[in-house]
Amino acid sequence: MKDKYVTLTINGRKTTLVVEDRTTLLTALREYGVTSLKRGCEEGECGACTVIMNGLPQKSCLILVREAEGAEILTVEGLIKKGRLHPVQQAFIDEGAIQCGYCTPGMVMTTYALLSKNPSPEEEEIREALSGNICRCTGYLSIIRAVKKSADILSGKAKGGELREDD
Amino acid sequence: MKTIKTKTGIGKWLPRKYDLQKAEGTLQFADDLRFGPELLHASVVRSSVAHGEIIDIDYSEALKMPGVLKVIVGEDFPYHFGLYLKDRTPMAIGRTRYMGEPVALVVAETEEDAKEAVKKVKVTYKELEPVFDPVKAATTNSVLVHPDLHKYDHVDFITPQPNTNIANWFRIRKGDTEAAFKNAAHVFEETITCPQIAHGFIETFCSICKQDPGSGEITIWTSAQSAFTVRDIIAKGINYPLHKIRVIAPPVGGGFGGKAGMTVEALCLAAAMDEDLKGRPVKLFIPREEVLLSSWVRQGFVARIELAVDEDGLMQGIRNTFWFDTGISAEYGANPVRSARYTSMGAYNIPNVWADCYAVYTNKPFGGAYRGFGLPELMSALEVVVDIVAHKLKIDPVEFRKKNLLMKGQTTCTGMPMHDHALDKIIDKVAKKIDVLKEEPPIRKGWKRGKGIALAIKAPAIPADASSSAIVKLNGDGTVEVLAATMDMGQGTYSAFAQIVSEELGIPYDWIKVYYPDTQSHPYDWQTAASRSCWSMGMAVKRAASELREKLLALFAEYWQTPVENISIEYGVVKCHKLGKSERIDERVQNGFKMPDGILKGGPIIGTGSFTPPDLLYPDPDTGQSPKSVTHFTLGAVGVDMEVDPATGRIIINKVCAGYDVGKAITPINIKGQIEGGTVQGLSACLMEGMTYDEHGKLLTPDFTDYKIATIKDAPGEIDAFWEETPEEISPYGNRGVGEHSMIAPAPATNNALFRATGMRIHSYPLSRERVYKALKAKEKGETDFWEWPYALDLAYERAKKEW
Repeated sequence: MKDKYVTLTINGRKTTLVVEDRTTLLTALREYGVTSLKRGCEEGECGACTVIMNGLPQKSCLILVREAEGAEILTVEGLIKKGRLHPVQQAFIDEGAIQCGYCTPGMVMTTYALLSKNPSPEEEEIREALSGNICRCTGYLSIIRAVKKSADILSGKAKGGELREDD
Repeated sequence: MKTIKTKTGIGKWLPRKYDLQKAEGTLQFADDLRFGPELLHASVVRSSVAHGEIIDIDYSEALKMPGVLKVIVGEDFPYHFGLYLKDRTPMAIGRTRYMGEPVALVVAETEEDAKEAVKKVKVTYKELEPVFDPVKAATTNSVLVHPDLHKYDHVDFITPQPNTNIANWFRIRKGDTEAAFKNAAHVFEETITCPQIAHGFIETFCSICKQDPGSGEITIWTSAQSAFTVRDIIAKGINYPLHKIRVIAPPVGGGFGGKAGMTVEALCLAAAMDEDLKGRPVKLFIPREEVLLSSWVRQGFVARIELAVDEDGLMQGIRNTFWFDTGISAEYGANPVRSARYTSMGAYNIPNVWADCYAVYTNKPFGGAYRGFGLPELMSALEVVVDIVAHKLKIDPVEFRKKNLLMKGQTTCTGMPMHDHALDKIIDKVAKKIDVLKEEPPIRKGWKRGKGIALAIKAPAIPADASSSAIVKLNGDGTVEVLAATMDMGQGTYSAFAQIVSEELGIPYDWIKVYYPDTQSHPYDWQTAASRSCWSMGMAVKRAASELREKLLALFAEYWQTPVENISIEYGVVKCHKLGKSERIDERVQNGFKMPDGILKGGPIIGTGSFTPPDLLYPDPDTGQSPKSVTHFTLGAVGVDMEVDPATGRIIINKVCAGYDVGKAITPINIKGQIEGGTVQGLSACLMEGMTYDEHGKLLTPDFTDYKIATIKDAPGEIDAFWEETPEEISPYGNRGVGEHSMIAPAPATNNALFRATGMRIHSYPLSRERVYKALKAKEKGETDFWEWPYALDLAYERAKKEW
């Protein structure tokens, strides 16, 4: 297959990649070195490869990289500013919403996209937004708590870095 | 006098180790490792028949494809592998036993090249009659899945039955069951079935193998829970020295038992050890739709349980028979069968027990370890039967359970005395929190609401000599590194180890690092399995840290010329209050202390610790009796409040309450996480999961589109997780395992709740919408019980049932 070129912006850096027609955005980004997005199913079922493309959460396994020509891609690595975690990342740690961590980058990106659009979602809206991201470890309730806490940190109602403790 | 002070010891809520890197996306799993342009890629050619002789494999066209270097077949790597029973070859040799079994491996320069070439390999089969139904397979032996069973090596605590499909048969013969049933006021018999269940971890399998051509040394990077077990199985399989095999286990993206033993490592190794390829690393990444074919699943089962109850409502006897569908291999799957049998009495005091558990070969992907290891299987049957009996005897389900509870000093089915626990208290709490006996109106219009309870029990089903060891190193700045070959695959063991080290050394949690397993650097550990890590490896880590503390304190004692009792370590600083001394830990712990007499003493300080269960005795093979068959049990109870829509069969879980006796909570954040996660995994198995095959044995549910697992929308509205702490005697801090236990009782509790809601008893899992709908339709016609045999196309079960 003949090589083609795609130019896109990955976490703020404009880059040109050498790709094939069949190369997915997932494969291209992973080969480029952004490995936070995972190959969980490569069929759009699990959400472990979710990235933000032009402001929308997308499953990168379902996008051919040539469709992403000129696109702005944001991954979980790109959320870190000056060495500080984004509130969504911090909230996932605080709430024990991470276990094996394989789904976490996708969960964080979907949450980021949700909160960008809807800064204080109801629980039903959280469940709807995250329903395309599968987590087998946590049972999801801690993830729901983390999304709520992310919203609270972003709106100044809570502070990141404090663990929830049960009695 | 306590010699340490810490704010980050056991029992504290702390941020989990490696969560930061997981949130950042920088933690590298096996698939994320990079090996440069020398890396080769393998892709698997799989059998298209469930049972057949391989007549020919023609890969001449595949070799002409771009980038292809080699095609390897079964005869090229003719080794048998297996943990307990060596019945597995990485590729079929001469005969294929299930649809999807590897028959050839294509190795190419890129993954795409390898995948394209797989399509060009032509395999010709002569089809043989397959067998899919475990009861038929075990009772008729008309088709033998492993005619060579008598030739396979196995450990002596499993009992394969040559010339049958029974890979393992475990029995319990305790008391006089016949008399108990003869004299009983009430006798009940029920059957429960459940199909195979998949782990559904999000990280699929990935191995990279490399052999150094000169020395022959092998390195394996793999998504494995138990690095040392992979090394052992490979070494025994290819008859190779242990020190020439290095297994590196990067972080695992969910295991649940599915990566507990050897998965695809040997298959990848077949390419890496090839004469033409060796020297180059070979990667085998298993795509999602091949995962269920590549390693084991939870065994399906058919259970028949008979219960004898006296006039006072006390259980006097139990007879249970479990047919476990272990597919084509029982190399690991022989052991969950043993685990279920150990606990044939459930959480009840039953004096007379007759139990038979069979691991039965069929022409399907194979069974093995899965969270709960035989106990979700046993208890999702037994706890439903107990509920049926309580209902028929008109005793409330809470009272009936409490009345028959297996308390301290009473004997289990293997004749071993039960230790102290707080299950009675937990049952009361669960019953109260969920108000289990109170009927409440449904929240949703037109739905029916019900509540149910079920108990959980499980012991680690480890071999008697399953050992752990650990090394704790003190650095020249007071920070600490821990080498303990447990895999932290999300359960959070490294946080627990760091808290144990902090507890023993008085060094802050943040100064302690625990590394992922590498057999080259880490000392031996048996497996990350059996919910044993905080207990068994916890013991080794505690011992290593205490040894280190003793060494450090002895040096300071001589240095300050004061008795060791006067010295403490407080928040990372070494102190002697009596002498007014306070010093940070520095390079002296590497280079030695200059003692008052001018002589240098000490040097690098390390602590080592190991642990082997001290008193386990394998049960008698004929009766299953042993003074100590297992180390300990973790017990618990789960209450479920649910609603069902009769119009669609849909079940929604309003609330779950789950409590366990953990002995001592080392890392509360992890216990809460394990209870929540296991509860939802258990509910998911109960409501929607099951491997489905067509009449040819083709798996119809190979990916998440067809094999449904719980999403965030399926999670209950609330999980009330709690724990009690009745200390365990032989344990680092009295703690017991809880990782797997949370998956045991949600399914039967939901089944029991469904009965309370509708009056309909469903005997076959899963309680899928379709099945619930059908059952409720049958209810309208006056039926009270409903079951669907999971192998609907194979009706031998009906016949076999009569022959029991």
